[in-house]
Amino acid sequence: MRGEILRLYKSVHTWTGLVTGMLLFICFYAGALTIFSEPLAHWASPPTGGSISVEDADRLIETTLAARPEAAKDFTLRLATASEPARLSWRKSRNDDVVWSATLGADGELRVDRSNVSGVGAFVDTIHRTAGLPLDRETGTTAMGVVSAVYAVALISGLILVLPSLAKDLLALRLTTNLKRMWLDAHNLVGVASFPFHLVIALTAVVFGLHEPIYDALDHVVYDGRLPTIMRSTGPFAGVKRDEQKAPMKTVAELVAVVVSASPNFSPTSLHYRDADTRGALVRVIGEDPRFLSRGGGFAVVRGATAEVVNVDYLPEKQSGWTAAVSPFFALHFGSYGGEPVRWAYFSLGLAGAFLFYSGNLLWIESRRRTARRHGEKVVQTTAARLMAAASIGVCLGCVCALSFAIVSTKWLYGHVEDVDAWRRGIYHAVFFGALAFALVRGAARAGVELACVAALGALALPVTSAVAWAAPGLGPWAAADPESAGVDIVGLIAALCFAALARATARRAERGPTDSVWSAREASRSARSPLSSNGCAVAVGADAGDDIHG
Amino acid sequence: MTEFRSDWLSKSVAGSVFGFTLAIAVAGLFAVAGPGGLEARNKYQFVMWLVAPIWLCVASLVFFFRSGRAALLWLGGANLLAFGGLYLCRRLLH
Repeated sequence: MRGEILRLYKSVHTWTGLVTGMLLFICFYAGALTIFSEPLAHWASPPTGGSISVEDADRLIETTLAARPEAAKDFTLRLATASEPARLSWRKSRNDDVVWSATLGADGELRVDRSNVSGVGAFVDTIHRTAGLPLDRETGTTAMGVVSAVYAVALISGLILVLPSLAKDLLALRLTTNLKRMWLDAHNLVGVASFPFHLVIALTAVVFGLHEPIYDALDHVVYDGRLPTIMRSTGPFAGVKRDEQKAPMKTVAELVAVVVSASPNFSPTSLHYRDADTRGALVRVIGEDPRFLSRGGGFAVVRGATAEVVNVDYLPEKQSGWTAAVSPFFALHFGSYGGEPVRWAYFSLGLAGAFLFYSGNLLWIESRRRTARRHGEKVVQTTAARLMAAASIGVCLGCVCALSFAIVSTKWLYGHVEDVDAWRRGIYHAVFFGALAFALVRGAARAGVELACVAALGALALPVTSAVAWAAPGLGPWAAADPESAGVDIVGLIAALCFAALARATARRAERGPTDSVWSAREASRSARSPLSSNGCAVAVGADAGDDIHG
Repeated sequence: MTEFRSDWLSKSVAGSVFGFTLAIAVAGLFAVAGPGGLEARNKYQFVMWLVAPIWLCVASLVFFFRSGRAALLWLGGANLLAFGGLYLCRRLLH
């Protein structure tokens, strides 16, 4: 019976993994990048210059609201950082996707334009949430919520599979010539070592994707339709009535100070105003406190007219009760605690996760492999295995290439097209679907090499763009000499070297590896040759196939 | 002892559908009868977070049942109990 249960769990693991693996690869690769979306956005945004003192934030609000009164209802002020001036952003209405932003130039002049600043960060985040599916953000996120539920089942069934032989197999990475064994060991090792991470990610992703249907169900069954009322009455803005009467706002420095005095280690990064310049104005002071597990930062709500603190439920240091019970899940998904080391750990875990899904697909293909020894020398792999290999290559490398080119294009397109975001999305989808189609037509062995080269070029395009900007300032991209941008360039260069190494290894395997495999480029050409020369091949195959586990 | 049947389709359906309804009912029980009652400040968020782990545990462990029929019967029974308890708690406590 135990054997039968394990066999059933093996097929559950195989099929749930297979269905979700490629989408999850995209989510994890893009997710690893979102950890560093701020440096990426900084790399891709034009230099703003202008004034960065705190007093100027008040002047920015004042002049923007004078020029664009429609912004007063709802706007966000991003406080100045060491390299960026304060920036005010708003949308003309709730349903309008276009974000407008305003800064003060060095001359004190107000500059208003369509915002592309957070563009790259938001773009990578959308790919992360929707797996780059050409759906709108909401639908894509819900779809990925369902995919995440299947992923959780794949994860738990995988653990059930390795548990019986955990002690024996876990630390055994058998680097033998038995390739399938090695891939299996690597898959198990990465899977078990990062199991807690994956469990948290799967669980939180289900909640992020499906919280609305879950709330709806609870509302019907448990709360008798009173849930929206309960939510509003305990929400961060509860208890404050709208009051349209005009009233002057406290200064930005005062609003920030009152929150910092309540929680000294909290560092505010932005202020979100609702109904500014009225007596009922509320300001969410948003910021970070890396000492706590909180929801990727936190906020306090302050009255704009009096600087009286209204709500501290979401301030990391002050959160209590049920809010505190839920916040760690957010932090554990976003890696927004513990500062730089945790961020790098999440970056690595994200990439390791992408590897886990890729190796899972490889294992599926490898266990369906037809060997020369069993099926004769002119063995042809099953259509399913060849399609699976090509699709895995196309989706995984396609997403890697598409993200690089989409990010780089931002710097080249800025100033040339009006809607950078639409172009960037277009480029992502064009590269991604182009790569997928290319892989399906060309076959996994050749496309694997060629797309890895393209991925290397895509990653190399980041430092090259920066170099071009230095050498030829007239061409379009601007040069950035700060350490943050240089860091992005260095990571791009390292990634390019990794993809180049991957291309080399794949090419070697296609040329010299066993021909009875989807990864051999000689497979197709061999059948066209004369029987005489294929004898020569058979000798070589015989020598290699001896290592095969199917033998 | 009857033999083990794979029944992957009926087990999957039982796990994902009955697992979800069971999770809603158990989370509901916690909401109604747990500390603070239905209207405790921000408790609804925690209640919502309870649903996913219960649902996904049932959906992944459902394949241990001897057959699809057993899965449907046991989970159906658990649902009846949980929803019955929820109904009772609401009548008694509110």
